[in-house]
Amino acid sequence: MSLKVGIDVGGTFTDFLVTQPGDEPRIYKVLSTPADPSVGLVNGLEEIAASMNLSLSALARSIETIVHGTTVTTNAVLTHTGAKTGLLTTHGVRDALEMRRGIREEQYNNRYTNVAPLVPRYLRMPIRGRLNYHGDVLQPLKLDDIRQALQLFKDEQVEAVAICFMNSFANAEHEQQAAELVRSEMPDAYLTVSADFLPSIRFYDRVSSTVLNSYVGPKLSSCVDRLQSRLKEIAFGGVLLIMQSNGGVMSPQVAHASPARTLLSGPAAGPEAGLGYVRVHGHESCITVDMGGTSFDAALVRDGTPSVVTEGEINRHRIALPMLDIVTIGAGGGSIGWIDEGGLLRLGPQSAGADPGPACYGKGGTLPTCTDADLVLGYLDPDFFAGGKIKLDQQAAVDAITQHIARPLGLPLEEAAAGMYRVISTNMAQGVREISIKRGNDPREVPMVAAGGAGPLHACMICQELDIPLFIVPRESSIFCAAGMLMSDLRHDFVSSFVSVFDDLDWPRLQTLISETIQEGTALLTQESIPEQRRRFSLILDCRYVKQYHEVSLPVALDTIHAADASTIAAAFHVEHKRMYGYSLEEEGAPIELINVRLRATGLTEKPAYAEEPYAGRDAGDALKGERRAYVPEDRASRFVSVYDGHKTRHGNHIAGPALIEQVNTTLLLTASYDCLCDSYGSFVVYRKGHEDRLSAPLQEMLT
Amino acid sequence: MNEVDPILLSVFARAFKSLTDEMSISLQKTTRSPILCEAKDFVTGIYDARGDMLEQTENLPILSFSLGPVCKYIIDYFGDDIHPGDILFHNDVFSMGNQNNDVAVYKPIFREDTLVAWSACKGHQADIGGAVAGGYNPNATEVWQEALRIPPVKVYDRGKLRKDVWDLIFANIRFDIVQQDMRAQIGSCIVGERRMLHLLEKYGRECFETHKRALFASTRRMMEAEIGTIPNGEYRGEATVYYDGKNRGKQYKIRVKIAVEDKHITFDYSDTDAQSDAFVNGTYTSSASAAVLTFLQMVNPDIPHNQGMVEPIEIIIPQGTILNAAYPAATTYGNHLCPPNADAIARALAPAIPDRVTAGWNHLLCSLTTGRDPRKDDKYVDICFMGLKGGSGALRGVDGYDHIGMIDASGGLLDQDYEMFEQQTPHVLIRHEYLCDSAGPGRWRGGLGVETIFGIGADNTQLVIFGDGDVEPAFGLHGGGSGSLNAIKLRYPDGKEHTPLSLDLITGVHKGTVYHQLAGGGGGYGNPKDRPAELVADDVRNGVVSAQAAREAYGVALNERTREVDHDATSRLREENGRGSKSA
Repeated sequence: MSLKVGIDVGGTFTDFLVTQPGDEPRIYKVLSTPADPSVGLVNGLEEIAASMNLSLSALARSIETIVHGTTVTTNAVLTHTGAKTGLLTTHGVRDALEMRRGIREEQYNNRYTNVAPLVPRYLRMPIRGRLNYHGDVLQPLKLDDIRQALQLFKDEQVEAVAICFMNSFANAEHEQQAAELVRSEMPDAYLTVSADFLPSIRFYDRVSSTVLNSYVGPKLSSCVDRLQSRLKEIAFGGVLLIMQSNGGVMSPQVAHASPARTLLSGPAAGPEAGLGYVRVHGHESCITVDMGGTSFDAALVRDGTPSVVTEGEINRHRIALPMLDIVTIGAGGGSIGWIDEGGLLRLGPQSAGADPGPACYGKGGTLPTCTDADLVLGYLDPDFFAGGKIKLDQQAAVDAITQHIARPLGLPLEEAAAGMYRVISTNMAQGVREISIKRGNDPREVPMVAAGGAGPLHACMICQELDIPLFIVPRESSIFCAAGMLMSDLRHDFVSSFVSVFDDLDWPRLQTLISETIQEGTALLTQESIPEQRRRFSLILDCRYVKQYHEVSLPVALDTIHAADASTIAAAFHVEHKRMYGYSLEEEGAPIELINVRLRATGLTEKPAYAEEPYAGRDAGDALKGERRAYVPEDRASRFVSVYDGHKTRHGNHIAGPALIEQVNTTLLLTASYDCLCDSYGSFVVYRKGHEDRLSAPLQEMLT
Repeated sequence: MNEVDPILLSVFARAFKSLTDEMSISLQKTTRSPILCEAKDFVTGIYDARGDMLEQTENLPILSFSLGPVCKYIIDYFGDDIHPGDILFHNDVFSMGNQNNDVAVYKPIFREDTLVAWSACKGHQADIGGAVAGGYNPNATEVWQEALRIPPVKVYDRGKLRKDVWDLIFANIRFDIVQQDMRAQIGSCIVGERRMLHLLEKYGRECFETHKRALFASTRRMMEAEIGTIPNGEYRGEATVYYDGKNRGKQYKIRVKIAVEDKHITFDYSDTDAQSDAFVNGTYTSSASAAVLTFLQMVNPDIPHNQGMVEPIEIIIPQGTILNAAYPAATTYGNHLCPPNADAIARALAPAIPDRVTAGWNHLLCSLTTGRDPRKDDKYVDICFMGLKGGSGALRGVDGYDHIGMIDASGGLLDQDYEMFEQQTPHVLIRHEYLCDSAGPGRWRGGLGVETIFGIGADNTQLVIFGDGDVEPAFGLHGGGSGSLNAIKLRYPDGKEHTPLSLDLITGVHKGTVYHQLAGGGGGYGNPKDRPAELVADDVRNGVVSAQAAREAYGVALNERTREVDHDATSRLREENGRGSKSA
């Protein structure tokens, strides 16, 4: 056997997806063990082994690859429990980290306080020595300042050190001298050097990212070490890969050096997963949405590539590493409904969480949540929530909505619940707008992939709001990210500053820089045992009109660089600028300049091969469970609708909305405007009535 | 559909907000002047066909509440001569503009040949003509010495660029980047128009109108409810303007009488002193914006920003006062009368709503350098945003915000990135750090100010200085102490030092001159002797409060070696001085 296992360690559950060639994928969920996540992970493997009638070590030996997603670094930053970190920085600018350029995100809120810095001021040590904007030495480095700082760090039992000097993106010499001293004086400290980690211009971005890397370094290292040793104990001999925020995976060695690359990796496997589900229907672009208990993640994949941004934030700390462009908003099953001072109905961002949870959980919650509304509207079966593991209290949901929403708004119960359902769907549609329209992309042109426990209940409404005619609910919807991890490639991002006007480009120097970076990427991929034919390199140039401050990231073919073809790049730049910002300066012949060179080295991994189901005919009668009253938004009223067992539907089955399709961990609501077809991989392809032409040809054929 | 759907109401409110946010992102990403793209000294908004505000994104609130009035002015001015494809510019302070340098772009949005809305944005331009590059001519006595006046003018007529008009405008402006930045503002309006049309296409005009009215009404109720929480009565406050740029020693009083009557609030500035004969003068919209933005910080920050929000607020500023100067006065400084204006309002309302009024904020003192960058042989202009941002006043329950900057931006104005600063100007940054002992002591201390030092890297540099806070510090409240003062000093290469006036123009500054600025801290709230000693010790450990100040202002003694709190000595110190809030 050659198994692949995707393991997504979340706050509450650890999700597993196990695949083997030619077999149906298996889904497992076990409780997470936050104190040492590797315990929960091994518990899960034991459960898997038992269900497959194997010993743990027999299972371990048959696993070829484990891809592991972790939130240990994210949680360390959110809860301020990372390593005690010291910063060596240029004399005179040690407060940049804490000032965050002087922003207060909520301008009219005088009770909004700054976020505590990850390194307190007394551990941010000023070091004399200065480079100018070009990297020339204005003042030599004072090694004594460093020695004194390190003495303080030792006295204070500092565990991690970050080094970030002014203008080091142009000359790394001073930082390297400092690093040598740190390595010899504090050999056990985790060290990040900004010029190695992120050699690009913008001091605040660099110092913040460098500090984040050191702050989470010791935590991630020990987590990975523990995991490796546990896997070794159970005789696992395959490849272990770690999920990154850029949607790719990396080896444990690379993770040790760049732990900050896991900081926003939680939802990062989603877009790749989504792509897998639409690709089988001939699409290379999609929107993915993942709605859980408290949050909703939305992302866009264009032309086979998830969108990437380089200016992320975690807990208001800047992190300038490439990461997937994922918008997270506070909208989930637990989102609480309330009436604001102006009498408007709102949902979230406050969430009832898992404890006390929605009123209908009967665990003491009295506030009306999205899940309560879903129950009142008949979308959830009180006796079949989580496959019947949790009994839902209908009366509690009714009481909560009546008291807090229906009565204050003067609406009947059902309309109040329908209002809640509508408002949260609108909020989520807003999240989808952020990643599509706001970036200049029309969401109507691409299919949506709806995942997460609560996502499929709301997908029709989100799509109606945005006029999206087609969406897919994957069979693995409830463990979407674990599935995506198995679809991810090894991915390493490099960035270098290269400031030059296009007309004066020193092409040989640029070509050398790029080929050197490719070599660097090659070395990493070699270390990760990726053979030559599975290596890919892609280039992005950050360009702007001269004197602009912000860049447009432009994908450029390596051949264009070899050919030193500036005009092709310029033409593409004008087009992209106009698309994004409403105008271009092509006619004026405005000069363009290059700022950063970004190279991505990709190592293609072996993807799991899912077996296709044979065509089983159009009739879904075998999966029909019965009927129940449910609210149909188009009718603004409830009526009896068919309920199907989503585990019994087969390839080719057609279900007309309105209908409900229930699985153990999720329910799909088809409103009256949508119909659904089951594809050969067990996923539900949902389309707006009258838009059958948006289906792929084989699916259209099944309809005729 | 003529009935209001309460749910759709929420949908519209959200959609308007995301629309103006999107315009803001577009503008920030495409502009060239660091004043716009780094510091975000601009605002974006959408207005209905009558010019009533639908929503705004107010990076710099002082610019914000003039966009709506100017929109109405344009509608009156052009009457039925507004057409699809028109694009208009405006900056004129005598037709509701707030400041000469703040130039607005308006784009009417048509659907099926009917005017349905306007998208607009306004940004502080790097130059707008007049006698001094970058504006802020402290010697100006009338508007023509300050700027090119742009009463509304169409730069695009039915989709066609009026090249002659465009060239006329930019022939009067020094820097080319202003042309490009105005192009970026037009781009931002187009982005807003795209979204607005999409919304109208989806819901239809009638539905939009119905829900717009309902949204205004709902927002109005929200604001009225907030005003209703303030006890009815008349509250008075005043503040002093210490210098007008021309007449040394001459002072002006801003006097506000705030009347709260159930759901209505009036800010009456009738007793304010007469206008100056220099450029320290407000315009109606800049002064009214100051009142609104200060008041908004005392109410629920979640109120949507539309017409309904401003309806219950009445603002009376007689023409001829320093807050509403009569034509043709010089007024470029007007936006910066916001800090003393805000002080007057805070002093008036602090007794009535002590839980919502902060102690005094640090005032703006700012410098602008221009000249030629010898490295590129090219012009540059830079407003030293990082240097001007002091601390905010503390509030019951919350310390002031460190390095937030003047109240009229409230943390919306950002520092230049240090490395970008050294790329874009010839200067070398020597220090930009929190300033020790700058914060006003209190049970809740004021926000910290900063110290900024840079080496001027080009000969023949011109320095414009404007602001205040060099005479009177940010005041404390309810027993809290005041923050530190603002100051700017130059040390010339020959070692001589020069302290410029708070409004000054210095030319011919040599390379090698060291620029040194202190931005003061905010005022403290409550008796500093009541501040938990551990918090004071943390500030001492972090070097933002000195051991001496800990002892003298806070009554906290620290062990010299460990820097831990010496509890016995602290008790003695605090008893000696009496614990303020209980004895006071």
